[in-house]
Amino acid sequence: MTVEWQGAWESVIHHPLFGIGITLGAYQLVLAAYEKTRWIFLQPVLASMLLVIGVLLSCGLSYAEYRKSTDILSILLGPATVALAVPLYLNLRRIRQLFWPIFTTLVIGGVFATALVVGLAWWFGAEHMMLMTLAPKSVTSPIAMLVAEQIGGVAALAAVFVLITGVIGAICGPGLLRLVGVHSPEARGMALGMTAHAVGTSVALQESDECGAFAALAMSLMGVGTAVFLPLAVTLVV
Amino acid sequence: MLLRGLTWLVLFQLLGTALNHLFIPVLPGPIIGLLLLLGFLIARGQVSEPLSQAASGLLRYLPLLLVPPAVGVMVYAADIAADFWAIVGALVLSLLISMAFVGVLMQRLLKHHNHPEERP
Repeated sequence: MTVEWQGAWESVIHHPLFGIGITLGAYQLVLAAYEKTRWIFLQPVLASMLLVIGVLLSCGLSYAEYRKSTDILSILLGPATVALAVPLYLNLRRIRQLFWPIFTTLVIGGVFATALVVGLAWWFGAEHMMLMTLAPKSVTSPIAMLVAEQIGGVAALAAVFVLITGVIGAICGPGLLRLVGVHSPEARGMALGMTAHAVGTSVALQESDECGAFAALAMSLMGVGTAVFLPLAVTLVV
Repeated sequence: MLLRGLTWLVLFQLLGTALNHLFIPVLPGPIIGLLLLLGFLIARGQVSEPLSQAASGLLRYLPLLLVPPAVGVMVYAADIAADFWAIVGALVLSLLISMAFVGVLMQRLLKHHNHPEERP
């Protein structure tokens, strides 16, 4: 009798749909919990990731097996990245008169932010692979994963660093900006979107529509700028 | 409608992949696809209905699509533990410093942009 139970359990957890099942389940559970509590630590990706890892470890499944069964989800990540062009285009059209302030902030701020994180991590003694994974941490996850992989980092870690950055930025950002005397909605939006990407943008949207629009624009510009210039810079330097 | 938009997105990504292999190995295929689509939208001056449907549909579920790759962290637990404090320190410090820097810079530039004659 017990043998049959064992067999059924084994065939369920090794079924190709099991990985997708737990991913969908965990994601919806976290979304429902977030809707209810609005707790910023319940970032859908971060919390679902922890749930899925918990399930995999308790079932004794390897990441390789889980990865294979969720291939169908991962393959859609490419077209979703291409689709980021649509919101970027719509945001670009909206804010044209402030081109120079935005462009200058983007170039100086973007280079500064990227150089700072790599410099600090290097100074604290992190190894090369970690440095390359940390470099794109201020941009939206799908882009950060591609860039990290391209320059010799690890996509999975990049996704997580990006999310942690977003959560810290969303929690500390508004207070920090007030502290340093940044009050204009455009500047607050730029700062939140450029350094804390999507999570920062959602906080900016709560402040005002204008702040949110600038955050969304800053996030997509920073994403594309990093995607294009960071691999080039790394090729030239390393 | 949705399928037609999705087809466009897939086509742009495949085009990006081809260009990646032929000429620009430095940029990942989907990024080239994104840039091509952006150029296409700027040239056309508008987003067609199927494309905007497919894009918003996919982007709505972007967090879900990101879960499987993020779970990959479990393989790198040892690497994270090895560099734990360097990672946490670099992430937090660089975030706070660069956010303040970007905010102040943008505010200064805006002031200058709106009232150029007040510059000292």
